[in-house]
Amino acid sequence: MRVLLIEDENRLAENVAAALREGPGFAVDLAEDGQVGLYLAQDHCYDLIVLDLMLPKIDGVGVLRKLRAGGDHTPVLILTAQGEKRSIIELLNTGADDYLSKPFDLGELIARAKALIRRGKGAAHPTLSASDIEINTLEQTVSRAGQMIDLSPMEYRILEYLMHRPRAVVSKRELLEHLYDYNWEHHSNVIEAHVSNLRKKLDASSDQPSIETLRGRGYRLIVQRTGLT
Amino acid sequence: MKPYSIARRLITTVLMVELVSAVCVTAMAWYYEQHSHFRSFDVLLRGRADSLLGSVQDAEDPEDNVMLDKSDLNVPAEDIYEVWDEKGRLLGRSSNWIGSSQTAKAERVDGYHNVNVNGKRYRSLLLHGLRIVDPGDRGGGVPHHVTIIYGSPTERVWGSVARAVKFYAAASLLLLLVTGLVMAWLLHRGMAPLRALAEAASGVSVNAWRFNPPEEACATEELAPLVGALESTLRRLEHSFFQQRRFVSDAGHELKTAVAVVKSSVQLLGIKPRTATEYQSGLDRVEADCGRMEEIVAKMLTLARVESADTTPEAGVRSINISESWRLVAEQFSSMAELRGVTVELSLPKSLYVSLRTEDCSLLFSNLLLNALQHNGRGTKVTVSAKAEDDIVEILVEDEGDGISAEALPHIFERFYRGDPSRNRNTGGTGLGLSICKAIVDAASGKIAIQSILGVGTKVLLSLPAARVQDSNPIELTYESLPRI
Repeated sequence: MRVLLIEDENRLAENVAAALREGPGFAVDLAEDGQVGLYLAQDHCYDLIVLDLMLPKIDGVGVLRKLRAGGDHTPVLILTAQGEKRSIIELLNTGADDYLSKPFDLGELIARAKALIRRGKGAAHPTLSASDIEINTLEQTVSRAGQMIDLSPMEYRILEYLMHRPRAVVSKRELLEHLYDYNWEHHSNVIEAHVSNLRKKLDASSDQPSIETLRGRGYRLIVQRTGLT
Repeated sequence: MKPYSIARRLITTVLMVELVSAVCVTAMAWYYEQHSHFRSFDVLLRGRADSLLGSVQDAEDPEDNVMLDKSDLNVPAEDIYEVWDEKGRLLGRSSNWIGSSQTAKAERVDGYHNVNVNGKRYRSLLLHGLRIVDPGDRGGGVPHHVTIIYGSPTERVWGSVARAVKFYAAASLLLLLVTGLVMAWLLHRGMAPLRALAEAASGVSVNAWRFNPPEEACATEELAPLVGALESTLRRLEHSFFQQRRFVSDAGHELKTAVAVVKSSVQLLGIKPRTATEYQSGLDRVEADCGRMEEIVAKMLTLARVESADTTPEAGVRSINISESWRLVAEQFSSMAELRGVTVELSLPKSLYVSLRTEDCSLLFSNLLLNALQHNGRGTKVTVSAKAEDDIVEILVEDEGDGISAEALPHIFERFYRGDPSRNRNTGGTGLGLSICKAIVDAASGKIAIQSILGVGTKVLLSLPAARVQDSNPIELTYESLPRI
């Protein structure tokens, strides 16, 4: 999952980015002001935008308004030091999906970030399943037909992303964009290796293939109609 | 003090004045009525006395004696009279009187007199007349002098005078009453704009600053200045209230953010197991974050202290030699200047003094120097010069740093304002340094102005009232008085 963090207080930004990277293993892009943030948000595909309100150049509300006016549906989590109910109501009405008051709890931030991403992809429950594959996004565990499978962090992230979009074709570029920060192009040659390893681990104990490769188009999670949840 | 009513005071004053004039009018009426009544009374008295004399003159006596013939005499029964001839012989007297022997000798001269007879007040007239007795055929008239005293009771005259006076008094009292009522009514009506204004003013509170002066109050010549004063006072109050509120909100925002940094730094350490080195560097970061929070709090407190400080000598305000102070501040920052490769040049006259609290002075100068040093590049120069003009000491701090953008320039004295966040983050600014400088200069009734051109440099001009040299202490630099670097 790829997150855009727009925060001008750089120590806070460092900490939040580190937490999102080290906790749920998101790729995090950082913007120090509203202008850069808006540019990044419009130019890239993010699964979540974490937005501070007091920003130089364009403030948080301005960024949010411009994003929503441009038809962007990316979930937005607001970080605010203002405690006024009215401004919070205004924010939610402007198109924010959730907010956290400073000083916030990093654990809560991670949980809300995950929930927003989940919701943004149409899943309410932290457990995702397709056919006989099941992943728990809280514990980051994967099982197939009840058997636990040990995955590397990157393999898990690829699987989680595919699980959010069962039966859809996900291009290599899309995977790269959502799993890495803005340096994703450097990783383009390793994604195939990661997918190959993932497929091997998933299919080790099953005769059903789990992920298919569509040449020139991308990858798809194979879901049996009967096993659809 | 017990509040008093202007309306009641006015009414009381007017009524008092009116009462005095009513008393005067009544007294004058009494005098005038008495005068005019007695004048006509005197004429009447004279007429009756004359008719009495006529009765003496007309009395025919075969003996040619002088006598009073009462048969034709027609005078009121309560009147008294007495008639003598020149030999003192009594010719006649009214039946209700025992004679003038009881009256004082002084009254036996011509003219009108007031006398008391039988317990009644009378006014009497003493009249001398002549009766010429004509002996008929014997030829030649014999003149006889007669003296007449004629009196009439004054009771009735006094009665009419009293009635007239009573009328005037009653009329005056009625007028007094009517005036009181009309005035009360008029004043009540006239005070309506004042009441409306008071009501409008009482509607103003910290949550509702809108003050709509009632039209009737604006249209009143006497109230218009009050409305103007209220409006401008409320405007100023509202402005400073919102400034305070914004400061509190900004301060809250800064503090919450600083706490959020510290909290997240601590929590980040617990997200996953870490090595001892990672923990060590994490703790170092937490400590640095705490230091920053400490700095924000310290600066906020400094700002609050400077803004609320009084500037009396008891509060530590001294005459400070600016050349000496700048030398000390520059010395304090010499290592930093050296490190950044910036030359600090002081060209200050020896004998310029300003009135400031010593710690404020060092705070002001060191904040300005620190700002200049932080924004100056290697190999550049910071120049501090000063001159005295009239009673003003002007201090100019010039740097050759990167300058302040035109958009940022109007805001630089605002609290927590940071011209360029990315730059200030590196230098660790809190956005309070210049606010503190301005507060110190304002408290000393001075001025601070900044001119800046991007890429050329910044000029800070301080204008402070010159101080008389009485006890010029060189400033002492303390740890607290220095901004943190």
